[in-house]
Amino acid sequence: MNAAAAPMGGPVMSVDHLTVTAKTKKVLLNDISLDFPPNSLTAVVGPSGCGKTTLVRSLNRMTELTPGLRVKGAVYYLGQNIYDRRVNPVLVRRRIGMVFQRPTVFPSSIYANASFGLRLVHEEEEKVDVAVRHALTRAGLWDEVKDDLDRPALSLSGGQQQRLCIARALAVEPRVLLMDEPSSALDPAATQRLEATMEHLKESMVLVLVTHNVGQAARVSDRVAFLHTGRLIEVGNTDEILERPKDPLTQQFITGRFL
Amino acid sequence: MRSVDATLPPVPGIASADVLIDRSARTRFRLGFDRAMGWLTPLLFLVAIVPILDMVYYVSLKAVPHLTWTIITGTNPYEANVYLGVPLYTTFYVIGLATAIAVALGLFGGIATAELLPEQWANAARTGANLLVGTPSIIIGYLGYLGFVLYFGWGPVFIAGVVTLSFFMTPYVFRTADLAFSSIPRHIREAALGSGAGPSQYIVRVGLPIAFPQVLTGVFLAMAIGIGETAPLVVTMQPGVLVPQNLFSPAKTLTMVIWENFQSPLAANQVLAFEAAFLLLVIVLALNVVVRVISARYQKRLEGLYQ
Repeated sequence: MNAAAAPMGGPVMSVDHLTVTAKTKKVLLNDISLDFPPNSLTAVVGPSGCGKTTLVRSLNRMTELTPGLRVKGAVYYLGQNIYDRRVNPVLVRRRIGMVFQRPTVFPSSIYANASFGLRLVHEEEEKVDVAVRHALTRAGLWDEVKDDLDRPALSLSGGQQQRLCIARALAVEPRVLLMDEPSSALDPAATQRLEATMEHLKESMVLVLVTHNVGQAARVSDRVAFLHTGRLIEVGNTDEILERPKDPLTQQFITGRFL
Repeated sequence: MRSVDATLPPVPGIASADVLIDRSARTRFRLGFDRAMGWLTPLLFLVAIVPILDMVYYVSLKAVPHLTWTIITGTNPYEANVYLGVPLYTTFYVIGLATAIAVALGLFGGIATAELLPEQWANAARTGANLLVGTPSIIIGYLGYLGFVLYFGWGPVFIAGVVTLSFFMTPYVFRTADLAFSSIPRHIREAALGSGAGPSQYIVRVGLPIAFPQVLTGVFLAMAIGIGETAPLVVTMQPGVLVPQNLFSPAKTLTMVIWENFQSPLAANQVLAFEAAFLLLVIVLALNVVVRVISARYQKRLEGLYQ
């Protein structure tokens, strides 16, 4: 774990002794250290309340939007600590995008949703058109919506809305995409499409997927990090963690879910 | 643990788009703008509350030196400068009855608008309430005079003032009730109806407990506004000297005391007006504190609902 020294070839992101405390002094994350290598999908799994969501939210400073949370330690993006005082959190969130549990499209057209981030950076019109098409293609939505991009985004199905959210995040070309249980509100068919999108995306970027579905982690992830009561119990390649977990807690969690 | 500053800024070999420190003119302008607004907003707030603080200061200055318990407890109704007990009692009497009417009308109207009425009717009701809020109180008072005092033939009595004032207060209760019920997240309503509750069961068992703090705030707001209202009362009630004996007695509230006395050439009468104004300030302040405490207590249970 030496991101700062060697950004090239090293992990794109690394978490270094991260501790997050709530206003009530409750420790949400306890001394977590973890690397995210390039072109990989890391699944963060664990029982409810173990800190999965807090972990991904602290990876792009979304924790700041929850009053009272205190963050200690560091999160490095290409060797830069995103919690450095001089870092602009807006730039952090442009490079490290996020997709949430519930599809949250804005009540406007598909095109307006997909180009939302580009409008924020005042991109030129022609570039926006190209980027919107590119983002929708990468999110696996282009073929379904290309005929009528001016349709209201809210008229899309839940799964399509979630892929539109991914396209919206992708449009500003982030290197990292954080996904917080993105398929928990979707049906199996839509989940399958979403997983295909993830498989495709992880060839070109870092994906971090929070999921409570071990099956999903087994299907799409390269690495699995298992959290329990705010601690990182174990992290490693998906096959190893799921087939030969070293820690009895991991064992219990996995078997419990598989039964 | 690595020290925070050691790794920033120069990280060799990363693309410029990946650099997280942004010193561009646009970003510096935006950050400066944010900071300036952060100062300007509280400053403008101060400007806005200066007149209020000035009023509280001026009234206190005039009233506090003459403040004694006999102002409230004095027994001689004809010795004006030591006698605010009757108007104080009348004020509570008027506001209590007017609030009862306003809550009955406003709460039912607001809930019906938010939950039961078809969209067009609901919008018509909302427009009506907004118009009523925007109507100057003297016009409401005049309508009350024409309607209750003259047309119904009640004469300028206690009940005419109460009903007129309640019409003035109703739209405030109505609007908060409507807003409180409309802003309950849809999935909660669907969860209730989906578990077999009828619309009225949903309203009583699920909606009302959630909307309660907001509705209560609206009721107290309406009370605070009603207590300070003068115009609807001076045109519909004949100022009485005694506590109203029945609904058709003459009656006089604190605001009417101010109205009668504040331009009087007699210094004693002016003092009386300021004493009444001071009492009103204290009552309104107390109402505000009570509503904060109660709604904060109820709000606590609802934390997390709107996430």
